[in-house]
Amino acid sequence: MKPEDLRYAESHEWVHVSEQDGQQVATVGISAFAIEQLNDLVYMDLPEAGRTLKAGEEFGEVESVKAVSPLYSPVSGEIVEVNSQLPDNLEWLNEDPYQKGWILKVRMSGDEGLDQLLDHAAYQKQCAESG
Amino acid sequence: MYLFHTEADRRAMLDAIGAASMEEILRQQIPADARFQRPLELPPAVSEMQLQRDVTRAAAENASTASHVCFMGAGAYDHFVPAAVDAIASRGEFYTSYTPYQAEVSQGNLQAMFEYETLITQLTGLDVSNASLYDGGTAAVEAVIMALSVGKGRRRVVTSATVHPEYRQILETYLHALDCELVIAPLDESATAENLLPLIDDDTACVLVQHPNFFGHLEDVRTISDKAHEAGALVVQVFDPISMGLLKRPGDLGVDIAVAEGQCLGNPLAFGGPYLGVMACRQDLVRRLPGRIAGQTVDRRGNRCWVLTLQTREQHIRREKATSNICSNQTLLALRATVYLSLLGPQGLLETAQHCHQKTAYARQQLAGIERLELPFEGPVFKEFVVRDRERDVIGLNRTLREQGILMGVPLERWYPELEDCFLVAVTEQRTRADIDALAGALSNAPTQGVTAGA
Amino acid sequence: MRNTQSTRLLFELSQPGRRAALLPPLDEQITAAAEPLPETQAADGPPPLPELAEGDVIRHFTNLSTLNMSVDTHFYPLGSCTMKYNPKRNERLAALPGLADVHPLQDDDSVQGLLRLLYELQQMLAEISGLPAVSLQPAAGAHGELTALMVAHAYYAQRGEDRRVVLTADSAHGTNPASAAMAGFETRAVKSSPEGLIDVEDLRSKLDDQVAVFMLTNPNTLGLFDHQICEITQAVHDAGALVYLDGANMNAIMGLSRPGDFGADMMHYNPHKTFSGPHGGGGPGAGPICVRDFLEPFLPAPTIARDADQDHYRLEYDRPESIGRVRTFFGNTGVLLRAYFYIRSYGGDGLRQVSEDAVLGANYLLSKVKHILDVPHGDRCMHEFVASASKLKKEQGISAMDLAKRILDYGFHAPTVYFPLVVDEAVMIEPTETESKETLDAFAEALFRVTGESGDLVHEAPHSTPISRPNDVAAARKPIMKWTPKDS
Repeated sequence: MKPEDLRYAESHEWVHVSEQDGQQVATVGISAFAIEQLNDLVYMDLPEAGRTLKAGEEFGEVESVKAVSPLYSPVSGEIVEVNSQLPDNLEWLNEDPYQKGWILKVRMSGDEGLDQLLDHAAYQKQCAESG
Repeated sequence: MYLFHTEADRRAMLDAIGAASMEEILRQQIPADARFQRPLELPPAVSEMQLQRDVTRAAAENASTASHVCFMGAGAYDHFVPAAVDAIASRGEFYTSYTPYQAEVSQGNLQAMFEYETLITQLTGLDVSNASLYDGGTAAVEAVIMALSVGKGRRRVVTSATVHPEYRQILETYLHALDCELVIAPLDESATAENLLPLIDDDTACVLVQHPNFFGHLEDVRTISDKAHEAGALVVQVFDPISMGLLKRPGDLGVDIAVAEGQCLGNPLAFGGPYLGVMACRQDLVRRLPGRIAGQTVDRRGNRCWVLTLQTREQHIRREKATSNICSNQTLLALRATVYLSLLGPQGLLETAQHCHQKTAYARQQLAGIERLELPFEGPVFKEFVVRDRERDVIGLNRTLREQGILMGVPLERWYPELEDCFLVAVTEQRTRADIDALAGALSNAPTQGVTAGA
Repeated sequence: MRNTQSTRLLFELSQPGRRAALLPPLDEQITAAAEPLPETQAADGPPPLPELAEGDVIRHFTNLSTLNMSVDTHFYPLGSCTMKYNPKRNERLAALPGLADVHPLQDDDSVQGLLRLLYELQQMLAEISGLPAVSLQPAAGAHGELTALMVAHAYYAQRGEDRRVVLTADSAHGTNPASAAMAGFETRAVKSSPEGLIDVEDLRSKLDDQVAVFMLTNPNTLGLFDHQICEITQAVHDAGALVYLDGANMNAIMGLSRPGDFGADMMHYNPHKTFSGPHGGGGPGAGPICVRDFLEPFLPAPTIARDADQDHYRLEYDRPESIGRVRTFFGNTGVLLRAYFYIRSYGGDGLRQVSEDAVLGANYLLSKVKHILDVPHGDRCMHEFVASASKLKKEQGISAMDLAKRILDYGFHAPTVYFPLVVDEAVMIEPTETESKETLDAFAEALFRVTGESGDLVHEAPHSTPISRPNDVAAARKPIMKWTPKDS
């Protein structure tokens, strides 16, 4: 996945929606910008597959040595897969945030939340303003 | 006193500040309506000599384990404290230092904390330990809160009347604010927690047991753990560190979180504190563990060293979402525990536990033979047991024995109305056969109610 | 000349069969009475503790001690921690057998001397705070906060008022919101004004019939006494809420201002700060609380009561409206007694002089440091002040952390850095009253020299300490929290 092709939440999660077996599945991760801001991640807490999320709901958190950042789901639906190896390989987030660093796959229950997402250009602008 | 500044210093400092007087600074800072206008009404200042005279006199009014032979326990014990413990803990570099936020100048404390944590894991058979909490009672409560946070949605805490009554009182205070249900299995003739088993249900987050329990009796922790785990609850065990010389460890009994009063590990009784709360848990619970943790790492030159770690659990980062509001640990007392356990080693701990266990058995046998007394509970005990006074005059007995230089035990009426005629006797390794014989002698010779001594 | 051989871990020093503590042989008649433990309960053997000789243990820990900075050895200008001199007489007196070797459950008649000292301490704390009712039970400052919030909870429950919100200052210590959460309250933060004080308008906008308590620190974490304090507490009272004072900074105001007089309803003391109890490497402390008389019924049991006619003291357990118990036994008596000794040593005028000298020392150091670092919140302060390394970081690449690390090489403990959060690159300095003018001069001089040093020298500092810049990230990623044999 290329960063240009993804959509982004203001809270820095990225989303890629694809069609699988006739259903919309969103792959969710966190942006390279956020990972750089968080600086030396040390821990990640992830949910289990099967849980249902609402758009905007907190589903986990990442920690650096002295900060904790919650992760929010950009879409609504059921978690169908979790990148369970990621917490033990946090360097993947730095090396490859858009492929190996994916976090969740969510079978979407609708379009809720999608209209809130930014395209790459708008997200870049947001990052530039906050940075 | 302990101040440094001469009047000349003060003058020079005010000049440097550019203030005409101290009053000018204070008036600028403190608004007039918040200014205190009279001298504090406190006792006048005294010299070190006078203070020592006054305090020594006040101290001499108290009975203590130095003046009396102590058979009191109930969570605080008169175990022997080797001189080496005091020698280390009274080093200013330890006791006048602060929390090791600057690891470069705190390696002594940090390494000692890491050693303490390791010793506690060895003692409990569990995976990780924090660097200590306030005391045994609050540690038990923190463990229960931890279990509640793991068992999201479960609101029930099951415990037993055989758990230290003050620990249960603290638990009630804390749980009141947290809207949980506390279920306590009542005291029965076995004086064990066996009767809590049917109380464990699918809403139970936590089962809290004490082993050896408040009355000194041994609990079947393995069976309780199995039953609790079947129901999806966690098990918290209050244990006696000294008993680990003889008894199976919490980690070997399936316990998830073990807590203890660490006073017995080289700390003075000090009328209740400061003590330390011991807490250890399984590896997968570490993110929920409250309190400070020292961890190992390397420095920029590659040298092994120690730092405070996993700090995101704590209140200074997570604020209202922290695992606990605790922002200190009892480092100095944990240091004493570390030195104490280093001095004892496995063999010393084993022998200390044997002394307690065997002398308790002897005392139990001796007291059972006294006509006036009976032992209301059967079954094996570790270092404490309950005694009933058939004359129903525990207070009078207690006074009589104190006058003879013996602190005979802890009356149980305050917590257990049904045991109003009973007291709890503890026997540590410090008691000799002569001490125990003296206790038995004094008890059998004590005047009964209404009869004056010597009559 | 460091002895690195003896500071290996205890477990690495261990040798099978070595031991320090020896117990006397058991009497035959005792052994005869013994019954073996049930097989299901008995361990196969004792835990795998290290095996050491007494000499090993002493040399190990004595050498470890030399790796610490401490108040006895170094100036420790750690803001918000009040690292003052810990008088030696307090240690000697607290160790008297009649105080140190007293069992917590002894009957009142056998501890009259002790209860008298503690009762007098209650009265002293009440007088210094202006709040009459005292509980000595809480074990630490954070524990005192929690206890007081539970008292507030019980008070409103009794009045039938459903107040669920605790307001905290955004500059407050993290324990404030954490304690509120544990006491079952929701928390909301009140903003600081640009001057670093409570934003009174923001406070007023958040005060409603849901608010139970406003927690504030005064003097605050910037070392400033809030000049609107009486207006603030009045506004809180007008809304039917209580004011809680975090007493962390009492060292600044003893005999100069009393929380009870400026409108606080509840507070805790940190006797290990204000009244010189040694910090012990991070504990023990104590957290006695003082409250107004209408809150007295809710304080934890037991309290100390005095039967005046008999001049007799007793622990009062019969407190039907009490929140209950918050810790085992009486409290951190050893720490409380040291506070008593300290207050007796100074008396009322002496304590006032302590606070004046603490304020004087901080202002003197401020007058020097302001020429070295920005001090964003004014030229004057109470007992501490917060400088900022923000400009230094931008212009020279030297951060607050770098400053803290490099100052260690000059033989000073670092100030508190990155707290409070409301100041960028915060450097929080509290000298206390027990430091001489010469020490303060030397510290300012060292700070000045550091700001002129090269980036590389500072970034890699400290250079003279046993270790330098430990890897916190590695420690948190793969936590090693105990020694295991394979590491040896």
